[in-house]
Amino acid sequence: MINPIKKIFALLEYDFSKAGKFAKLGPLFDATKTFFFLPSSRNKLGPFIRDHLDLKRYMSFVIISLLPVLFFGIYNTGYQSGLARGETLDFWTSFLSGAWVVMPIIIVSYGVGFFWEILFAAIRRHPISEGFLVTGLLFPLTLPPTIPLWQVAMGISFGVVIGKEIFGGTGRNILNPALTARAFVFFSYPVTMSGNVWVAGADAVDGITSATALAVNAEGGSSLFSTLSNQGFSLSNLFFGFVPGSIGETSALCCLIGAVFLMVTRIGNFRIILGGIAGLVITAILFYFLPGTRGTWADAGPLYHLCAGGFLFGISFMATDPVSAPGTDPGRWIFGFLIGFLTVILRVANPAFAEGVMLAILFMNVFAPLLDHLVMKHRISKRIPNV
Amino acid sequence: MNHMEKISLSKGFTLKLSGMPDNSVIRLPRPATVGVSALDIPHIRAKLLVKEKDRVNTGTPLFCDKRDTSIQYVSPGTGTVKKILFGRRRRLLEVVITLEGMDDFVQFDPVSSKDLSQIPSQKLADQLKQGGLWQALRQLPARDTADSAAAPPLIIVCLNGNDIFSPHPGLVLQDKIRQFEFGLSVLKRFSDRVVVAARKNSLALLAPAKHLITLQVPDIFPAWDPGTILYHIKKEAKENAAWYIGAEWLVRMAQFLETGRYPIDTMVTVTRGNDKKPHMITRQGSPVHLLAGNYPPGSLITTGQLNGRIKDPDAHLGFFENTLNIIPDAPGDEMFGFIRPGLNKPTVSKAFLSSLVDRKVLMDCTMHGEERACINCSYCEKICPVDLMPSFIMKALVSDDIEEALELGLLDCCRCGLCSFTCPSKIELARILSLGMDAHHKDTQG
Repeated sequence: MINPIKKIFALLEYDFSKAGKFAKLGPLFDATKTFFFLPSSRNKLGPFIRDHLDLKRYMSFVIISLLPVLFFGIYNTGYQSGLARGETLDFWTSFLSGAWVVMPIIIVSYGVGFFWEILFAAIRRHPISEGFLVTGLLFPLTLPPTIPLWQVAMGISFGVVIGKEIFGGTGRNILNPALTARAFVFFSYPVTMSGNVWVAGADAVDGITSATALAVNAEGGSSLFSTLSNQGFSLSNLFFGFVPGSIGETSALCCLIGAVFLMVTRIGNFRIILGGIAGLVITAILFYFLPGTRGTWADAGPLYHLCAGGFLFGISFMATDPVSAPGTDPGRWIFGFLIGFLTVILRVANPAFAEGVMLAILFMNVFAPLLDHLVMKHRISKRIPNV
Repeated sequence: MNHMEKISLSKGFTLKLSGMPDNSVIRLPRPATVGVSALDIPHIRAKLLVKEKDRVNTGTPLFCDKRDTSIQYVSPGTGTVKKILFGRRRRLLEVVITLEGMDDFVQFDPVSSKDLSQIPSQKLADQLKQGGLWQALRQLPARDTADSAAAPPLIIVCLNGNDIFSPHPGLVLQDKIRQFEFGLSVLKRFSDRVVVAARKNSLALLAPAKHLITLQVPDIFPAWDPGTILYHIKKEAKENAAWYIGAEWLVRMAQFLETGRYPIDTMVTVTRGNDKKPHMITRQGSPVHLLAGNYPPGSLITTGQLNGRIKDPDAHLGFFENTLNIIPDAPGDEMFGFIRPGLNKPTVSKAFLSSLVDRKVLMDCTMHGEERACINCSYCEKICPVDLMPSFIMKALVSDDIEEALELGLLDCCRCGLCSFTCPSKIELARILSLGMDAHHKDTQG
């Protein structure tokens, strides 16, 4: 029996072919068809057997790794908005009210992003790359739930077009497109990206403060930990994620689950993740022993630095983007380590930015080719020349 | 007693393929036609020496290499030239000969092991060139036919063939140890240093030849490839120009010198899925369909699953081709294939459940995906047996920067094909690197 979906594709095939009336939309047809039916043409060139791993599976695994933070993010958005109104919502109410806020953001991100992807694919006559599936989901997860949807559209447009397509598309971009999109929104619309924007539905209630943990500083000589704790940012809340923040970043636990999945399946490079955590922990410990920092984030120590803010989200899902990270193993360790290092430096030493991980990763993206270059020069010097 | 050294390999092909041939040996009946292929002779610019309907003896030159006309390629049988097949741009593909009942041999002066030390090496080379066996000696890194005017820094004798299931050297050398030793002493006339390398799991059956083996390589493809061996044993740049030869051809070289007649027999394996076919002795240049037998439609026949060529069933086996792999087609499009758990989808990655199970796997002859841009994932680097970074070399070659590619070690590439095998973006890395090496070789030939 022929699969009915296969039948539909067979019927439509001609219209989307080069001679058909929708020839321009050929890439869209291909992308949809290959989503349902994995293409596998016979090998014409050696080797004549090929591994089963392809880019579709590669990118789907990143999506799978994002599911815990996605679902928790949806739940927490609803939960926090309930808290802001003074109610404690049950699981399903939280989840549904969260979905009501988060889903439109994701839909706009995917919809507008796909528009650009299809446009470029149609003009350049190349297939739609699976990489966008990841970008389109990563970007919304870095946004506050209160973001206006038109800004989501602006951000993803900038990320896809300026961050990726003008360099030639997937595989040729220098910066991570999702972070480029977030940086665009962050610097263009600072009012909607910082301050009291982290709780959906909070506007309706007066007198709610809803900054993120990283914006908290202790005053009057009290310790940072007790101040954080008083405002609901206990270490366990930060670890499990029951705090206000960007949609996907609040739960350190869910980020770690995703990170472990990526490392075990070797889709995300463990060197970047472990190097990053090492960089953050070591730098945080150094600042901890610096005198005269009591009450500030310099005094926070490694655990708070790990669990607060978007570091684990960034290092697990953004920094591991293979295209914008270095392509050599030593380069990956250094890249990860310096992201951790710069994140703490930015959080502690730069009063303009409460959060540092986005800029740390983008900054290191720029340096990734240089790291590769240095590693390659070193490796070439170790080889017996053969020219 | 000879001291056997070892090399180790941290990278390479770790899957266990099914289809390993059986260690029994059968002799196939005499074929009706034999062919001499020009396609498996590297870099050749063939010049025909016969025309259709000519009568040829066993050992009559059929064509030579325009670059060095003294290197000849001879008929492995007696009969008439049935047809001469050309490809595009009149490139010679094959000379096909209809066999007669008996062999008439072109006779050369025999060389005994006592004579060997008396003959100048240049004269020895000339005799081998005329006899059609000099081509068995090849020179790294381009793998071109060895240049007899050059003194090679070392000669590597590869007991195992190009494919994982190439004929077992223990069977190839069965009852031929004496000829093999004679062959080694021929090689000693060209270089002081001869390295004889064998796979670890071949050693048991190779016991009678154990005293001749100097290097043991691990059982990871392509550890027994001459390029891989050289990369792991070389200490200085001048060793890059090493020569190499396969065990079967060394024996045939010795047989030719001893008898003065062209040796016609070759040992072939045919591998397929879960079959366990015996090793087959047949005439060099036998028709592919005779060896392959019946196979499911849509299968590919290759002369090496990872580093061979596609073989047309109507074609004949080439001089260097001693394995045929029948690789089945894929079962068909699979709905939502990219997200299935994949217990029966072999992979060297960790992205399918199959990576948790240690068992023999059956591969099909399809791509399992579509070509995409390189995403810098380093899977190619993780598998390359000679520590190259194929994706970086590919980028250098695509942007026409041959200097950078050479600096990155392009010429150490052993053309094993593993980078293309593993690439999730399905980029033809092995092909691109191979073309780059060939273009560079053509340039340096002047």
